[in-house]
Amino acid sequence: MLLGACAGPETRHLREQTQAVELAAVPFHPQDEYQCGPAALATLLGADGLAVSPDELVPEIYVPARQGSLQAEIVAAVRRRGRVPYVLAPHIEAALTELHDGRPVLLLQNLGTRALPVWHYAVIVGFDPQTQTFVLRSGRERRQELSARRLLESWDRAGRWMLVTASPGEPPASAQAGPWLRAASAFESLGAFEPAAAAYRAATRRWPDTAMAWTALGNVLAQQADWPQAYDAYEQALANGDDGPLLRNNRAWVLAQMGCRDAAMDEIDTGLSAATPAQRATLGDTRAQIRALQSDAVCSR
Amino acid sequence: MDGFRGVMVVVVAVALGLSTIAAPASAAIVGTEQMLSQNTARQDVDTFLARAEVQEQLQAWGVDAADAQRRVATLTPDELQMLNAQIDELPAGAGALEVIGVVFLVLLILELVGVTNVFSAI
Repeated sequence: MLLGACAGPETRHLREQTQAVELAAVPFHPQDEYQCGPAALATLLGADGLAVSPDELVPEIYVPARQGSLQAEIVAAVRRRGRVPYVLAPHIEAALTELHDGRPVLLLQNLGTRALPVWHYAVIVGFDPQTQTFVLRSGRERRQELSARRLLESWDRAGRWMLVTASPGEPPASAQAGPWLRAASAFESLGAFEPAAAAYRAATRRWPDTAMAWTALGNVLAQQADWPQAYDAYEQALANGDDGPLLRNNRAWVLAQMGCRDAAMDEIDTGLSAATPAQRATLGDTRAQIRALQSDAVCSR
Repeated sequence: MDGFRGVMVVVVAVALGLSTIAAPASAAIVGTEQMLSQNTARQDVDTFLARAEVQEQLQAWGVDAADAQRRVATLTPDELQMLNAQIDELPAGAGALEVIGVVFLVLLILELVGVTNVFSAI
Protein backbone atom coordinates (compact mmCIF):
# COMPACT_ATOMS: atom_id res chain seq x y z
CA MET A 1 0.00 0.00 0.00
CA LEU A 2 2.92 2.31 0.53
CA LEU A 3 4.28 4.34 -2.28
CA GLY A 4 6.02 2.42 -5.01
CA ALA A 5 9.72 2.75 -5.65
CA CYS A 6 9.08 5.44 -8.23
CA ALA A 7 7.91 7.86 -5.53
CA GLY A 8 11.39 8.03 -4.02
CA PRO A 9 12.60 10.83 -6.29
CA GLU A 10 9.42 12.79 -5.58
CA THR A 11 9.93 12.64 -1.82
CA ARG A 12 13.58 13.53 -2.20
CA HIS A 13 12.74 16.47 -4.40
CA LEU A 14 10.32 17.82 -1.80
CA ARG A 15 12.93 17.45 0.96
CA GLU A 16 15.41 19.47 -1.12
CA GLN A 17 13.05 22.45 -1.30
CA THR A 18 14.02 25.47 0.74
CA GLN A 19 11.43 28.09 -0.12
CA ALA A 20 7.88 28.04 1.13
CA VAL A 21 5.14 29.19 -1.22
CA GLU A 22 1.46 29.89 -0.70
CA LEU A 23 -0.90 31.56 -3.15
CA ALA A 24 -3.18 33.01 -0.50
CA ALA A 25 -5.23 35.04 -2.98
CA VAL A 26 -6.59 31.97 -4.78
CA PRO A 27 -10.36 32.04 -4.26
CA PHE A 28 -12.28 29.27 -2.55
CA HIS A 29 -15.53 27.63 -3.56
CA PRO A 30 -16.73 25.10 -1.01
CA GLN A 31 -18.01 21.92 -2.58
CA ASP A 32 -21.70 20.93 -2.59
CA GLU A 33 -22.56 17.26 -2.32
CA TYR A 34 -20.36 15.38 -4.77
CA GLN A 35 -19.46 18.34 -6.85
CA CYS A 36 -15.77 18.72 -6.16
CA GLY A 37 -15.06 18.95 -9.90
CA PRO A 38 -17.03 22.18 -10.42
CA ALA A 39 -15.73 23.59 -7.12
CA ALA A 40 -12.08 22.85 -7.89
CA LEU A 41 -12.36 24.11 -11.47
CA ALA A 42 -14.09 27.33 -10.35
CA THR A 43 -11.17 27.83 -7.95
CA LEU A 44 -8.60 27.29 -10.69
CA LEU A 45 -10.36 29.57 -13.19
CA GLY A 46 -10.90 32.24 -10.55
CA ALA A 47 -7.18 32.33 -9.91
CA ASP A 48 -6.70 32.93 -13.65
CA GLY A 49 -8.99 35.95 -13.62
CA LEU A 50 -12.17 34.18 -14.75
CA ALA A 51 -14.96 34.58 -12.22
CA VAL A 52 -17.07 31.45 -12.62
CA SER A 53 -19.28 29.86 -9.98
CA PRO A 54 -19.34 26.09 -9.42
CA ASP A 55 -23.07 26.16 -10.22
CA GLU A 56 -22.33 27.49 -13.68
CA LEU A 57 -19.91 24.63 -14.25
CA VAL A 58 -22.25 21.86 -13.13
CA PRO A 59 -24.10 21.60 -16.49
CA GLU A 60 -20.71 21.59 -18.24
CA ILE A 61 -18.73 19.01 -16.30
CA TYR A 62 -20.89 17.18 -13.76
CA VAL A 63 -22.10 13.65 -14.47
CA PRO A 64 -25.00 12.90 -12.10
CA ALA A 65 -24.98 9.10 -12.21
CA ARG A 66 -21.21 9.00 -11.75
CA GLN A 67 -21.44 11.64 -9.04
CA GLY A 68 -18.33 13.24 -10.40
CA SER A 69 -16.54 14.89 -13.30
CA LEU A 70 -14.41 13.42 -16.07
CA GLN A 71 -10.93 14.78 -16.70
CA ALA A 72 -11.57 15.27 -20.42
CA GLU A 73 -14.62 17.40 -19.67
CA ILE A 74 -12.69 19.57 -17.23
CA VAL A 75 -10.12 20.10 -19.97
CA ALA A 76 -12.86 21.06 -22.44
CA ALA A 77 -14.45 23.49 -19.97
CA VAL A 78 -11.13 25.32 -19.60
CA ARG A 79 -10.84 25.58 -23.38
CA ARG A 80 -14.35 26.99 -23.72
CA ARG A 81 -13.11 29.95 -21.69
CA GLY A 82 -10.20 30.59 -24.04
CA ARG A 83 -7.51 29.23 -21.73
CA VAL A 84 -5.14 26.41 -22.56
CA PRO A 85 -5.64 23.44 -20.24
CA TYR A 86 -2.11 22.18 -19.67
CA VAL A 87 -1.63 18.77 -18.05
CA LEU A 88 1.60 18.83 -16.06
CA ALA A 89 4.38 16.26 -16.38
CA PRO A 90 3.76 13.47 -13.83
CA HIS A 91 6.39 14.75 -11.40
CA ILE A 92 5.71 16.81 -8.29
CA GLU A 93 8.56 19.07 -9.35
CA ALA A 94 6.27 20.44 -12.08
CA ALA A 95 3.67 21.43 -9.49
CA LEU A 96 6.26 23.24 -7.40
CA THR A 97 7.55 25.09 -10.46
CA GLU A 98 4.01 26.28 -11.20
CA LEU A 99 3.31 27.29 -7.60
CA HIS A 100 6.48 29.36 -7.48
CA ASP A 101 5.41 30.94 -10.77
CA GLY A 102 2.06 31.90 -9.22
CA ARG A 103 -0.14 29.22 -10.75
CA PRO A 104 -2.32 26.97 -8.56
CA VAL A 105 -2.51 23.33 -9.63
CA LEU A 106 -5.68 21.27 -9.92
CA LEU A 107 -5.03 17.63 -9.12
CA LEU A 108 -6.94 14.38 -9.13
CA GLN A 109 -6.60 12.37 -5.94
CA ASN A 110 -7.59 8.84 -5.15
CA LEU A 111 -8.37 9.03 -1.45
CA GLY A 112 -9.20 5.33 -1.25
CA THR A 113 -7.12 2.45 -2.52
CA ARG A 114 -6.43 1.20 -6.01
CA ALA A 115 -9.07 -1.52 -5.60
CA LEU A 116 -11.57 0.79 -3.87
CA PRO A 117 -10.95 4.16 -5.46
CA VAL A 118 -12.47 7.33 -4.05
CA TRP A 119 -11.80 10.05 -6.61
CA HIS A 120 -11.47 13.66 -5.61
CA TYR A 121 -10.39 16.93 -7.22
CA ALA A 122 -8.61 19.59 -5.21
CA VAL A 123 -6.37 22.58 -5.90
CA ILE A 124 -2.83 22.84 -4.56
CA VAL A 125 -2.06 26.42 -3.54
CA GLY A 126 1.05 26.04 -1.40
CA PHE A 127 3.90 23.99 -0.02
CA ASP A 128 5.94 24.39 3.15
CA PRO A 129 9.28 22.55 3.01
CA GLN A 130 9.86 23.05 6.74
CA THR A 131 6.89 20.90 7.69
CA GLN A 132 6.71 18.99 4.37
CA THR A 133 3.08 20.04 4.07
CA PHE A 134 0.96 21.01 1.10
CA VAL A 135 -1.85 23.55 1.30
CA LEU A 136 -4.99 22.81 -0.70
CA ARG A 137 -8.41 24.24 -1.46
CA SER A 138 -10.34 21.01 -1.03
CA GLY A 139 -13.95 20.02 -0.45
CA ARG A 140 -15.31 22.28 2.25
CA GLU A 141 -11.89 23.29 3.57
CA ARG A 142 -10.53 26.62 2.49
CA ARG A 143 -7.07 25.78 3.75
CA GLN A 144 -6.41 22.10 4.04
CA GLU A 145 -2.93 21.13 5.19
CA LEU A 146 -1.92 17.74 3.88
CA SER A 147 1.38 15.99 4.54
CA ALA A 148 3.58 15.45 1.51
CA ARG A 149 3.36 11.71 2.07
CA ARG A 150 -0.45 11.74 1.98
CA LEU A 151 -0.58 13.98 -1.06
CA LEU A 152 1.97 11.96 -3.03
CA GLU A 153 0.15 8.72 -2.24
CA SER A 154 -3.28 9.96 -3.28
CA TRP A 155 -1.83 11.59 -6.38
CA ASP A 156 0.17 8.53 -7.40
CA ARG A 157 -2.91 6.32 -6.96
CA ALA A 158 -4.85 8.63 -9.28
CA GLY A 159 -2.38 8.47 -12.14
CA ARG A 160 -0.46 11.64 -11.24
CA TRP A 161 -2.84 13.93 -13.10
CA MET A 162 -2.35 17.67 -12.55
CA LEU A 163 -3.70 20.58 -14.56
CA VAL A 164 -2.99 24.29 -14.82
CA THR A 165 -4.60 26.94 -17.00
CA ALA A 166 -2.62 29.33 -19.19
CA SER A 167 -3.32 32.12 -21.63
CA PRO A 168 -2.58 30.94 -25.18
CA GLY A 169 0.27 33.43 -25.50
CA GLU A 170 1.98 32.33 -22.31
CA PRO A 171 3.00 28.68 -21.84
CA PRO A 172 3.33 27.77 -18.15
CA ALA A 173 6.77 27.73 -16.56
CA SER A 174 7.08 23.94 -16.54
CA ALA A 175 5.61 23.46 -20.02
CA GLN A 176 7.35 21.34 -22.62
CA ALA A 177 6.99 21.88 -26.35
CA GLY A 178 5.25 18.60 -27.25
CA PRO A 179 2.52 18.63 -24.60
CA TRP A 180 1.94 22.38 -25.09
CA LEU A 181 1.46 21.95 -28.84
CA ARG A 182 -0.85 19.02 -28.24
CA ALA A 183 -2.95 21.04 -25.79
CA ALA A 184 -3.13 23.94 -28.24
CA SER A 185 -3.95 21.67 -31.18
CA ALA A 186 -7.35 20.96 -29.61
CA PHE A 187 -8.36 24.56 -30.39
CA GLU A 188 -7.33 24.06 -34.00
CA SER A 189 -9.27 20.80 -34.28
CA LEU A 190 -12.37 22.54 -32.98
CA GLY A 191 -12.02 25.43 -35.40
CA ALA A 192 -10.90 27.98 -32.78
CA PHE A 193 -8.00 29.22 -34.89
CA GLU A 194 -7.20 32.42 -32.97
CA PRO A 195 -6.22 30.81 -29.65
CA ALA A 196 -4.46 27.99 -31.53
CA ALA A 197 -2.37 30.46 -33.54
CA ALA A 198 -1.52 32.48 -30.42
CA ALA A 199 -0.40 29.33 -28.60
CA TYR A 200 1.70 28.13 -31.54
CA ARG A 201 3.33 31.54 -31.94
CA ALA A 202 4.18 31.48 -28.25
CA ALA A 203 5.70 28.03 -28.80
CA THR A 204 7.89 29.30 -31.66
CA ARG A 205 9.18 32.03 -29.35
CA ARG A 206 9.80 29.71 -26.40
CA TRP A 207 11.14 26.73 -28.40
CA PRO A 208 12.35 28.25 -31.70
CA ASP A 209 14.37 25.13 -32.58
CA THR A 210 11.35 22.85 -32.30
CA ALA A 211 10.23 22.17 -35.85
CA MET A 212 6.77 21.02 -34.80
CA ALA A 213 5.99 24.45 -33.33
CA TRP A 214 6.55 25.97 -36.80
CA THR A 215 4.67 23.17 -38.52
CA ALA A 216 1.69 23.71 -36.21
CA LEU A 217 1.76 27.45 -36.83
CA GLY A 218 1.83 26.79 -40.57
CA ASN A 219 -1.11 24.41 -40.24
CA VAL A 220 -3.35 26.89 -38.48
CA LEU A 221 -2.41 29.69 -40.88
CA ALA A 222 -3.11 27.43 -43.84
CA GLN A 223 -6.53 26.60 -42.42
CA GLN A 224 -7.19 30.33 -42.33
CA ALA A 225 -6.05 30.57 -45.98
CA ASP A 226 -3.13 32.81 -45.02
CA TRP A 227 -0.91 31.13 -47.63
CA PRO A 228 2.24 33.33 -47.61
CA GLN A 229 2.53 33.28 -43.83
CA ALA A 230 1.82 29.56 -43.71
CA TYR A 231 4.56 29.08 -46.31
CA ASP A 232 7.04 31.05 -44.18
CA ALA A 233 6.19 28.97 -41.11
CA TYR A 234 6.70 25.73 -43.07
CA GLU A 235 10.06 27.04 -44.28
CA GLN A 236 11.08 27.41 -40.62
CA ALA A 237 9.83 23.91 -39.92
CA LEU A 238 11.96 22.52 -42.74
CA ALA A 239 14.97 24.52 -41.57
CA ASN A 240 14.56 22.97 -38.14
CA GLY A 241 14.47 19.44 -39.43
CA ASP A 242 10.83 18.51 -40.06
CA ASP A 243 10.71 16.79 -43.42
CA GLY A 244 7.87 14.39 -42.67
CA PRO A 245 5.41 13.40 -45.39
CA LEU A 246 2.53 15.19 -43.65
CA LEU A 247 4.45 18.46 -43.61
CA ARG A 248 5.21 17.90 -47.31
CA ASN A 249 1.52 17.32 -47.89
CA ASN A 250 0.50 20.57 -46.25
CA ARG A 251 3.32 22.55 -47.79
CA ALA A 252 2.40 21.24 -51.22
CA TRP A 253 -1.18 22.44 -50.76
CA VAL A 254 0.01 25.89 -49.68
CA LEU A 255 2.34 26.08 -52.70
CA ALA A 256 -0.50 25.12 -55.00
CA GLN A 257 -2.73 27.79 -53.51
CA MET A 258 0.05 30.32 -54.10
CA GLY A 259 0.04 29.39 -57.78
CA CYS A 260 3.29 27.40 -57.61
CA ARG A 261 1.89 24.26 -59.14
CA ASP A 262 5.13 22.67 -60.32
CA ALA A 263 6.77 23.15 -56.96
CA ALA A 264 3.64 21.76 -55.31
CA MET A 265 3.76 18.60 -57.44
CA ASP A 266 7.46 18.15 -56.65
CA GLU A 267 6.71 18.60 -52.99
CA ILE A 268 3.89 16.07 -52.88
CA ASP A 269 5.98 13.52 -54.77
CA THR A 270 8.83 14.01 -52.30
CA GLY A 271 6.36 13.35 -49.53
CA LEU A 272 4.89 10.31 -51.26
CA SER A 273 8.31 8.71 -51.61
CA ALA A 274 8.67 8.66 -47.81
CA ALA A 275 5.03 8.10 -46.82
CA THR A 276 3.71 5.18 -44.81
CA PRO A 277 0.83 3.22 -46.34
CA ALA A 278 -1.70 5.15 -44.22
CA GLN A 279 -0.15 8.47 -45.23
CA ARG A 280 -0.09 7.53 -48.91
CA ALA A 281 -3.87 7.76 -49.07
CA THR A 282 -3.83 11.28 -47.63
CA LEU A 283 -1.03 12.46 -49.90
CA GLY A 284 -2.63 10.78 -52.90
CA ASP A 285 -5.85 12.71 -52.28
CA THR A 286 -3.94 15.96 -51.99
CA ARG A 287 -2.06 15.22 -55.21
CA ALA A 288 -5.36 14.75 -57.04
CA GLN A 289 -6.72 17.97 -55.56
CA ILE A 290 -3.61 19.91 -56.62
CA ARG A 291 -3.99 18.62 -60.18
CA ALA A 292 -7.62 19.72 -60.21
CA LEU A 293 -7.00 23.08 -58.57
CA GLN A 294 -7.87 26.15 -60.61
CA SER A 295 -5.80 28.97 -59.21
CA ASP A 296 -5.31 32.43 -60.64
CA ALA A 297 -2.46 33.17 -58.28
CA VAL A 298 0.87 33.89 -59.91
CA CYS A 299 3.64 32.00 -58.21
CA SER A 300 5.83 34.25 -56.15
CA ARG A 301 7.74 33.21 -53.09
CA MET B 1 -22.51 0.10 -31.03
CA ASP B 2 -25.47 -2.17 -30.57
CA GLY B 3 -27.31 -2.53 -33.84
CA PHE B 4 -30.50 -0.63 -34.44
CA ARG B 5 -30.14 1.74 -31.51
CA GLY B 6 -26.71 2.77 -32.68
CA VAL B 7 -27.96 3.33 -36.19
CA MET B 8 -30.80 5.46 -34.88
CA VAL B 9 -28.39 7.59 -32.91
CA VAL B 10 -26.54 8.35 -36.10
CA VAL B 11 -29.69 8.97 -38.10
CA VAL B 12 -31.07 11.33 -35.50
CA ALA B 13 -27.73 13.05 -35.11
CA VAL B 14 -27.51 13.62 -38.85
CA ALA B 15 -31.09 14.88 -38.93
CA LEU B 16 -30.33 17.40 -36.22
CA GLY B 17 -27.20 18.54 -37.96
CA LEU B 18 -25.08 17.65 -34.98
CA SER B 19 -21.82 17.44 -36.79
CA THR B 20 -20.28 20.43 -35.09
CA ILE B 21 -16.70 19.68 -36.00
CA ALA B 22 -15.35 22.63 -37.89
CA ALA B 23 -15.46 22.19 -41.62
CA PRO B 24 -11.82 22.42 -42.61
CA ALA B 25 -11.11 25.65 -44.46
CA SER B 26 -8.57 23.73 -46.48
CA ALA B 27 -9.58 20.14 -46.98
CA ALA B 28 -6.11 18.99 -47.97
CA ILE B 29 -4.36 20.30 -44.86
CA VAL B 30 -3.62 17.66 -42.23
CA GLY B 31 -4.34 19.22 -38.84
CA THR B 32 -1.84 19.42 -36.00
CA GLU B 33 -3.75 17.13 -33.66
CA GLN B 34 -3.79 14.43 -36.28
CA MET B 35 -0.08 14.95 -36.99
CA LEU B 36 0.72 14.57 -33.30
CA SER B 37 -1.42 11.50 -32.78
CA GLN B 38 -0.26 8.22 -34.21
CA ASN B 39 -3.62 7.49 -35.71
CA THR B 40 -3.24 9.25 -39.05
CA ALA B 41 -5.72 6.93 -40.73
CA ARG B 42 -8.55 8.23 -38.58
CA GLN B 43 -11.75 8.84 -40.48
CA ASP B 44 -14.20 11.64 -39.84
CA VAL B 45 -16.92 9.04 -39.54
CA ASP B 46 -15.12 7.46 -36.54
CA THR B 47 -15.15 10.81 -34.78
CA PHE B 48 -18.77 11.29 -35.66
CA LEU B 49 -19.76 7.93 -34.21
CA ALA B 50 -17.65 8.41 -31.09
CA ARG B 51 -19.28 11.78 -30.50
CA ALA B 52 -22.76 10.28 -30.79
CA GLU B 53 -21.91 7.44 -28.42
CA VAL B 54 -20.27 9.62 -25.77
CA GLN B 55 -23.26 11.95 -25.90
CA GLU B 56 -25.61 9.00 -25.48
CA GLN B 57 -23.60 7.75 -22.49
CA LEU B 58 -23.64 11.16 -20.80
CA GLN B 59 -27.42 11.33 -21.23
CA ALA B 60 -27.78 7.82 -19.84
CA TRP B 61 -25.85 9.06 -16.81
CA GLY B 62 -28.33 11.85 -16.22
CA VAL B 63 -26.84 14.76 -18.15
CA ASP B 64 -29.49 16.96 -19.78
CA ALA B 65 -29.75 16.25 -23.52
CA ALA B 66 -28.97 19.79 -24.65
CA ASP B 67 -26.04 20.00 -22.21
CA ALA B 68 -24.68 16.66 -23.40
CA GLN B 69 -24.82 17.86 -26.98
CA ARG B 70 -22.95 21.05 -26.13
CA ARG B 71 -20.40 19.12 -24.09
CA VAL B 72 -19.41 16.63 -26.77
CA ALA B 73 -19.28 19.43 -29.35
CA THR B 74 -16.18 20.83 -27.66
CA LEU B 75 -14.27 17.55 -27.35
CA THR B 76 -11.63 16.85 -29.97
CA PRO B 77 -11.49 13.71 -32.13
CA ASP B 78 -8.71 12.26 -29.94
CA GLU B 79 -10.62 13.00 -26.74
CA LEU B 80 -13.80 11.46 -28.13
CA GLN B 81 -12.02 8.30 -29.20
CA MET B 82 -10.43 7.99 -25.76
CA LEU B 83 -13.70 8.62 -23.92
CA ASN B 84 -15.66 6.31 -26.13
CA ALA B 85 -13.16 3.51 -25.58
CA GLN B 86 -12.92 3.76 -21.78
CA ILE B 87 -15.60 6.03 -20.33
CA ASP B 88 -16.77 3.34 -17.88
CA GLU B 89 -13.35 2.89 -16.31
CA LEU B 90 -12.30 6.51 -16.18
CA PRO B 91 -12.16 8.21 -12.80
CA ALA B 92 -14.89 10.71 -12.08
CA GLY B 93 -13.58 12.85 -9.26
CA ALA B 94 -16.29 13.31 -6.70
CA GLY B 95 -15.46 13.31 -3.05
CA ALA B 96 -15.74 10.96 -0.17
CA LEU B 97 -19.48 11.23 0.42
CA GLU B 98 -20.44 8.40 -1.89
CA VAL B 99 -18.69 5.72 0.11
CA ILE B 100 -21.18 3.15 1.31
CA GLY B 101 -21.54 -0.13 3.17
CA VAL B 102 -18.69 -2.61 3.09
CA VAL B 103 -16.54 -0.18 1.20
CA PHE B 104 -17.07 2.25 4.05
CA LEU B 105 -15.93 -0.27 6.65
CA VAL B 106 -12.85 -1.32 4.68
CA LEU B 107 -11.84 2.26 4.09
CA LEU B 108 -12.50 3.16 7.72
CA ILE B 109 -10.11 0.42 8.84
CA LEU B 110 -7.51 1.49 6.30
CA GLU B 111 -7.96 5.03 7.50
CA LEU B 112 -7.41 4.05 11.11
CA VAL B 113 -4.22 2.22 10.26
CA GLY B 114 -3.08 5.23 8.26
CA VAL B 115 -3.14 3.89 4.71
CA THR B 116 -5.78 6.22 3.31
CA ASN B 117 -7.20 9.58 4.26
CA VAL B 118 -10.69 9.62 2.85
CA PHE B 119 -12.38 10.88 5.95
CA SER B 120 -9.95 13.51 6.97
CA ALA B 121 -10.09 14.95 3.48
CA ILE B 122 -13.80 15.49 3.06
